Amino acid sequence: MMIHHPQKNNLALRFLSWFCPPALYEGIEGDLLEQYDQDAHEIGTKAARRRLVLNVLRFFRPGILLRNRFSLQLINSVMIGNYFKVASRNILRRKLYSFINASGLSIGIAFCVLIYLFIQDEKSFDQFHASKERLYMMHGFEYNSKASGPEDQFHKIAPMQMALPQVMKSELPEVEYATHFAGNSGLMKYDDKVFRENVTYVDADFFRMFSFRLINGNAEKLFVTNDEVVLTDAIARKYFGDKDPMGELVMIGERTLKVTGIIESPPANSSLDFQILTPIQGSRGYNQHNLNSWLNMGWSALVQLHPGTDLANLETKLDKLAEKYMGEHLQQWKQERKVPDGIMPYTFRFTNLADIHFDKSLGGRRVSDRKYSWILGGVAVLILLIACINYITLALTTSARRRMEVGVRKVAGAYKRQLVYQFSVESVLLAFISMVIGIGLTVLFLPAFNSFTGKGITLDLMEIPSLAVACLGIALLVGLLAGSYPAFFLSGYRPVDVLKGGFTTRLQAGFTKPLVVLQFAFSAFLIISSVTMYRQMEYVSTKDLGYDQHQLVVIRTNAMRGEDSLKIGERLQHRAMLNPAVVSVSATNFPFAGGDGMIYNIMNNRDGKSVSGYVVDANFIKTMNMKLALGRDFDINNAADGINTIIVNEALVKELKWNDPLQERLKFSHSDTLGSRIIGVVRDFHFNSLLSDVGPAFLSIDTHYGRLDHILVKIAPDNIPETLARLQKDYTMVAPGKPFEYSFLDENVAQQYGKFNRWMSIMGLATVFAILISCLGLFGLAGINAVNRTKEIGIRKVLGADLGAIFVMLNKQFVWLSVIAFLIAAPLSWYAMDQWLSSFHFRIEMGWPLFVTGMVIGLFIALLSVSYHGIKAALINPAETLKYE
Amino acid sequence: MLYISLTIYIQMSKEYLGEFEELVLTMVGILQNDAYGNAIVTEIKERVGRTVNLSAVHVTLYRLEDKGYVKSHMGGATNARGGRRKRIFTVTNAGLAMLRAMKEARMDLWKLIPQLKFG
Repeated sequence: MMIHHPQKNNLALRFLSWFCPPALYEGIEGDLLEQYDQDAHEIGTKAARRRLVLNVLRFFRPGILLRNRFSLQLINSVMIGNYFKVASRNILRRKLYSFINASGLSIGIAFCVLIYLFIQDEKSFDQFHASKERLYMMHGFEYNSKASGPEDQFHKIAPMQMALPQVMKSELPEVEYATHFAGNSGLMKYDDKVFRENVTYVDADFFRMFSFRLINGNAEKLFVTNDEVVLTDAIARKYFGDKDPMGELVMIGERTLKVTGIIESPPANSSLDFQILTPIQGSRGYNQHNLNSWLNMGWSALVQLHPGTDLANLETKLDKLAEKYMGEHLQQWKQERKVPDGIMPYTFRFTNLADIHFDKSLGGRRVSDRKYSWILGGVAVLILLIACINYITLALTTSARRRMEVGVRKVAGAYKRQLVYQFSVESVLLAFISMVIGIGLTVLFLPAFNSFTGKGITLDLMEIPSLAVACLGIALLVGLLAGSYPAFFLSGYRPVDVLKGGFTTRLQAGFTKPLVVLQFAFSAFLIISSVTMYRQMEYVSTKDLGYDQHQLVVIRTNAMRGEDSLKIGERLQHRAMLNPAVVSVSATNFPFAGGDGMIYNIMNNRDGKSVSGYVVDANFIKTMNMKLALGRDFDINNAADGINTIIVNEALVKELKWNDPLQERLKFSHSDTLGSRIIGVVRDFHFNSLLSDVGPAFLSIDTHYGRLDHILVKIAPDNIPETLARLQKDYTMVAPGKPFEYSFLDENVAQQYGKFNRWMSIMGLATVFAILISCLGLFGLAGINAVNRTKEIGIRKVLGADLGAIFVMLNKQFVWLSVIAFLIAAPLSWYAMDQWLSSFHFRIEMGWPLFVTGMVIGLFIALLSVSYHGIKAALINPAETLKYE
Repeated sequence: MLYISLTIYIQMSKEYLGEFEELVLTMVGILQNDAYGNAIVTEIKERVGRTVNLSAVHVTLYRLEDKGYVKSHMGGATNARGGRRKRIFTVTNAGLAMLRAMKEARMDLWKLIPQLKFG
């Protein structure tokens, strides 16, 4: 019987020949074929084929694979030294190119390292606790009846009930430890040192749950009494200097507390931030009313569970707990909010501490979004890629000069492989130099980067080796990636063609054109965005706010609740007025730019509108330089003005559609009196930031509405430090032993836009980087263009073209490229900036001048970067380029 | 590097033969001048009734060759098996000595077992 052997190109056999050592191949293949023949007789060709494949696969095992002789064709070691010598000579000879290349790569590397550090830091949040798997933050889990989809069906609410930690610890066996975590600010006093500090209230379990190192004190015996306090080392140093703080007594608010421990300041990558820890049991809020009220939520709660806790089981137990303590309210909510059956309108849930950094509703001040890490990572890769491709284009532009070198080397006996090595060594060397510069740039930019991102990343000595390894990896990768194409391209020249002369190459670098457009579009996008942001921030800082925020000093009276705050304020006002540098003095309960102020519900219209109320004194409108639209200012001599009398703003008049506001009364929901008399209408003033519209508001000098604990001092514009010093003296006279805390109102106003200013800085920085990188791309492309058209330029010059004409001819296409890039970028940036501006209620118009400005800047930069090659090519003596033919 | 460490491993394990190695070595001895991969597979199946893998036999043969118990040469071309030559294995003196030593060691041990009574 005729046997049909599997064809030579049988896939299985080809696979065998790929992995099998050549010496063994024939014997194995023969045996396999013999087996196949046998199988074909016994079970048919089809099954035999299958078995052949199986048998081949069985040979793919270490016993066979490892018999391959692994020999790396190492570079001839004699030549290595020479490669380096030639590479460094080449780098030094073409200083401009080397500089541009190295700066492009090092910027890319620096950017990547910074982003790497950022992502590392994000990932390290709250990871340092020894029992991090068992630490959970408790939160409310509220049904959202207005949910648009399943993802926002429930709200997480971080503030919890005062009683929750204790109740959980005593009623749920799964809970090992539980603590509150709630903060507010208060004055801390020791000796003559008084400062306003953030005080955090916790339970004794706090020290057993978390891995913040206790420098001094016994974690087991802390917070036995309520009058203890634990300070971070930084705070201890601030108050006690070199003195041992243990056992000392400090005043916080009106209470005297004993220092029983010193704890390490929480690291920058901790979601829990604190400076002063004191037992919650000693806080004013820890009272029977709050402990019994399960509707009063204002304190974060954290728990540590026993190992191996069944989380699903714990959830059902928590549901029961909510039912037990809040059953009535839950029933009521269920009806009010039309909650479907089987769903709790509110219950308790928990989130692992390690996850809260990325949870907007729980993460607190340092919360972040995982998206940022992804976006930044993507940007890093993109920048590195662009830097690599720019390197390639730049390397190709110099290839013409190196033709001769390649030719001579080949004639002298160099293998193509050796040339590839040589060019690769060159690019790797350059990449290493870039890496060193890149790390330098990283160190240089790290403080700025930290302030942009609001992080506290430090380059630890411990991290440097791993970072260096990472950088080395990046440098090698970049060097090989960017160097390989030019290396193969250059080593491919045929020596005969080169050495004979008169040989011109056209560099095939078409792939760089779309890339350059992309880079340029990216830069144009950033330029337009930056300009828009700059204009908006300028608008925000110069807009008339309805009051004059300049040269206004805000001084906190720091009067305690028990004391008569008016007295400190009044005395300070009197003393300040004696100062010739003081123009005017006033007082309020809530300086503008500090938040919403007090909110009052009014009854004048159906849907229970709320208004912001400010308690002021009779000098307020004058001091703030506000304008009255109607009526009169408060009169200090008119006693009636002090009771139930207000001045409203125009927004309130408009809101309530009053025709004659002076005849109306503002009725509050909290009292059943006739309401407040209106004696004047003040022009709208921006008590909130420009992010929102001016809401309805009123001013009153009735101290029933609040305490005048902020003094406003309008000062003369010159000699401000002296005036401040005198104000401080006045303050210490009237309020001895209290810290002089002041701020400038215009600075407070500007601070409201901190986030936006930060974004503007980040965009500005990114714009600079993007422009630099895209200029490199353009520069490279212009170079290639000039090389390709050398002969054409020569002929044109011989025929009489002047320098200008050649310059225009060479650069025309770049104008087109940038116009195309611009057309891509304009709508994108319009969209992005429209989004950004939408958070402002008062915003600039995005008109055509913005885009034209962006375009002109972009074009100017583009022409600047391409003109080097243009001028250089135009200046070449035509005899140089044409002499061989 | 990899190759060097492999050699060291082979030298160290020179003194030992596994059960399967011994079986294959014995078969090479039995088949004399016609001992190649497939023949050994068939022989094992016929004499011991055990189905073994061709690749396992090959790997074992190469290992035995590394240890110096067999040597190999390429046989003549045939029309069967697609014209591929066979790799013929023969037992070396060291291999023969090893087989003998193993047999004797086993016999010695066998003698030490108390006479078993059947039935």
